[in-house]
Amino acid sequence: MDLHCEMLLEDYQAALPELERLKEEALRTLREALDRNGLIVTAVEGRVKTRESLEGKLALKGAKYAQLSDVTDLVGARIVTFYTDDVDRIAAMAEQLFEIDWENSVDKRRLHQLDSFGYNSLHYICRLPGYQFRFELQLRTTLQHAWAAINHDTGYKSGIEIPKEYMRRMNRLAGLLEMADDEFSRIRTEITDYRRRVQQLVQKGKLDDVLLDGDTFRSYMQSKPLNSLNKRIAAINQAEIQDAPFIRYLRVLKALKCNTLGDVERLIRKYEEDAYLLARHQLGNTDIDIISSALGLQNICIVCILSTGGGKIGLVRLFDVLNGHNSQNETLAEMTYNQAKQLPFMI
Amino acid sequence: MKTEITENGNQLIAAFIGRLDTAAAVQTAEDVKPLLEVSNREIILECSQLEYISSSGLRIFLSIRKEAAAHGSKVIVRNINADIRQVFMMTGFISLFEIQ
Repeated sequence: MDLHCEMLLEDYQAALPELERLKEEALRTLREALDRNGLIVTAVEGRVKTRESLEGKLALKGAKYAQLSDVTDLVGARIVTFYTDDVDRIAAMAEQLFEIDWENSVDKRRLHQLDSFGYNSLHYICRLPGYQFRFELQLRTTLQHAWAAINHDTGYKSGIEIPKEYMRRMNRLAGLLEMADDEFSRIRTEITDYRRRVQQLVQKGKLDDVLLDGDTFRSYMQSKPLNSLNKRIAAINQAEIQDAPFIRYLRVLKALKCNTLGDVERLIRKYEEDAYLLARHQLGNTDIDIISSALGLQNICIVCILSTGGGKIGLVRLFDVLNGHNSQNETLAEMTYNQAKQLPFMI
Repeated sequence: MKTEITENGNQLIAAFIGRLDTAAAVQTAEDVKPLLEVSNREIILECSQLEYISSSGLRIFLSIRKEAAAHGSKVIVRNINADIRQVFMMTGFISLFEIQ
């Protein structure tokens, strides 16, 4: 190693504390911005280039660097995303956060010829105020990251070194992963569209057009169709209502032959009065002044099961779903059945 | 009313002994405070010796559940008697807790 490179290494040793600070500030700035923008990613990571790595770089092309600050990747930050679309969103975010050195930044995704595949990643060279050094920000998807990591693990530093046969197979995989990345993004877009369409149908009241599934049920429950029933039940003892998850009822509603949100709506309207009477019968003689927001739907299911001849066995199945299988569910079903049989819908 | 908290690996076990009524709720709320401060643990509310629970007791269970959710912990209610199970059913609390 020549004298110039030796001096650069000495400068590097002296600059290490500043490089560490730069790395920490870059990562903190990126993490805060991701949170603000609601972007969920696989990883945000960073490193300061090791002395050994810098020695290797200088040994290859030391003359290229007049001073240490000409080395643009002394500090590296990397964000690994789930989706290709997010790489572009985070790139736009980085452009707002940092001064970008466009001359040295490179979008390797755009460098490929029409008939070639390989390393895909977006590299921005960024500057933060108050630091003499720049840092490299790498943005890539999880699949691109997996490819790059495995490619690196082969030990070949460049595409030229790798034997042709293996290079062809690695690049073939890069093409396959590019297609997979595109498909993941497309699936996400289509799911988002589907949820938007469902919300519109629910808002317009076209409930018979919406099949019952986890997404549509959530969307429907956001319109709080059980609000008035729960408030009536709460009024029995001036109880407070605690929010509870409804998703366990999806299985129950499917078992009760609800195939669309329209079926769920009709079930609620048909049995809500008897569900209220059941709650009044159970809570009226107690001083319990707290209920969960799932109580209305729970009682509707109980009334539906008993009104349609499901009997105690039907109730045991209901409690098994809501409560987990337990021998005490039979006792609970027995008690509920005995209470309900005094009510008009059972007579 | 007594509350005993023990540890078993990643589990924190709170055993409730007696009647958790309105009068006992203030002390019990104090006794369960260690459960509200932990993260990423499995919190077992052991009720085999719990004879009765009032609305105040349900609120204590609820506060444990809320704090646990906020701190990445999980709450399991274990061995409740038939009367308390009925209270959980009448209030819709069976949708709020995992009961074993």
